[in-house]
Amino acid sequence: MEKFPKYFLSIFILVIYTNLQAQVNCNSIEGENCKKACEIFNNDSGSQGSQQSQENLDKAIVLCPSFSDAYMEKSVPYLKRGDFVTWKKLIDKAVELDPANQLGYRGWCKLQFLRDYEGAIEDFDQLEKYRPENLGYSKNGNYNLYVAKAICYSALNQKEKAIKILENLFKTKNYNFGLYDYYQLGVTYFEITQYDKALENFEKQSKIYDFAENIYFKSKVAKIRNKDYLDLKNLALKTYDEGKYMKDAYTHHFNKVYRTQIAEL
Amino acid sequence: MTKFLYLLFILPLFFSCQSEKTISKYPAHVGDIQFDEKVDDANFKKCFVYPFSFQYYNFDGFQYKGEKLEIEKKLERLNLKSDKNPNGYITIRFIVNCEGKPGMFRIQQMNENYKATVFDKTFTNQLLEFTKSLNEWIPKEYLGIKINYYQYLTFKIKDGKISEILP
Repeated sequence: MEKFPKYFLSIFILVIYTNLQAQVNCNSIEGENCKKACEIFNNDSGSQGSQQSQENLDKAIVLCPSFSDAYMEKSVPYLKRGDFVTWKKLIDKAVELDPANQLGYRGWCKLQFLRDYEGAIEDFDQLEKYRPENLGYSKNGNYNLYVAKAICYSALNQKEKAIKILENLFKTKNYNFGLYDYYQLGVTYFEITQYDKALENFEKQSKIYDFAENIYFKSKVAKIRNKDYLDLKNLALKTYDEGKYMKDAYTHHFNKVYRTQIAEL
Repeated sequence: MTKFLYLLFILPLFFSCQSEKTISKYPAHVGDIQFDEKVDDANFKKCFVYPFSFQYYNFDGFQYKGEKLEIEKKLERLNLKSDKNPNGYITIRFIVNCEGKPGMFRIQQMNENYKATVFDKTFTNQLLEFTKSLNEWIPKEYLGIKINYYQYLTFKIKDGKISEILP
């Protein structure tokens, strides 16, 4: 019974996270109708995707047809629930109205939900014209969008291009490393059999956040080099069972490794 | 008592609180699947139904026995190919009941430009039958109550073959 509130709290936070919509600063919006639309948007009490919420967003759009966030927010439940045709129509409208602020999100979603690597790269390249200094981050906060772009090239089997993007990014002054950055670079090196560079990145990853997949790849390198790999393999399995593996509420991460794959090493 | 109060507190997140009956172009929740006697199995068991609408991502995300890898392995063994529309996506959305069984399937077919399309019927039916055969979804509970939840599988098709299963 003592544990119940804590358990409840974690469920509650997850449910809130998966239903929340972003808030907009209405003071920065010009025009009376658009300010009203912004207030409707911010005060929307319906849960994401509910009839009430979708109708409120429509009201905001009628009042302010140039309000890109309303289109974006209206698109989200379609994306999360697999209606990608409707999602695309709405998110395209948001991008048309405010490319500088919506392209990064659309590109990320193309990658995350549809593994549309070419489409995502197109969006990131367009975004670069508006924001050459900083593309921003993925919606889940895990990746700088340059890392996302590198992931796309890696998936398209352009490994050298992916490595170049990541190496350049990591050299950027004051770069904030993401949760899986070194791991993604390590795996890319591994795939072109540059095991020293791979291991170097897996070791750097371990210092930031060590998780099952990262340990699994270290174990793979050890096995390839005919070194003892079983301790690392068992540690990867233990870490997986402790819940420290690549997770996302909506989709699966690029370069995610499943428990069975670790066990079969 | 505490449990009940928490339940009351969280309920609005899962359903619309509109008391007035108005005609809307939207369902109670985006993506709600209504029973259709022409296509749905009347024996499909649903637990703890309306007005709740739980999605797979509300609780621990995608959960299948053996993880998504198990689904990928099963599909690989079938070696399915599409003769028409070499590129695009087929999404099959369904409800997972409290026993982990899927039912009430709905299909969306989309080309690589995100426009609705139609793949060859045999291929689409093979994917539907495959999805129907996946009966080891992990049942989910909410505060000790077994629930139904919405899940989907998207098959990315490249050069007539399934290149990835999503989400």
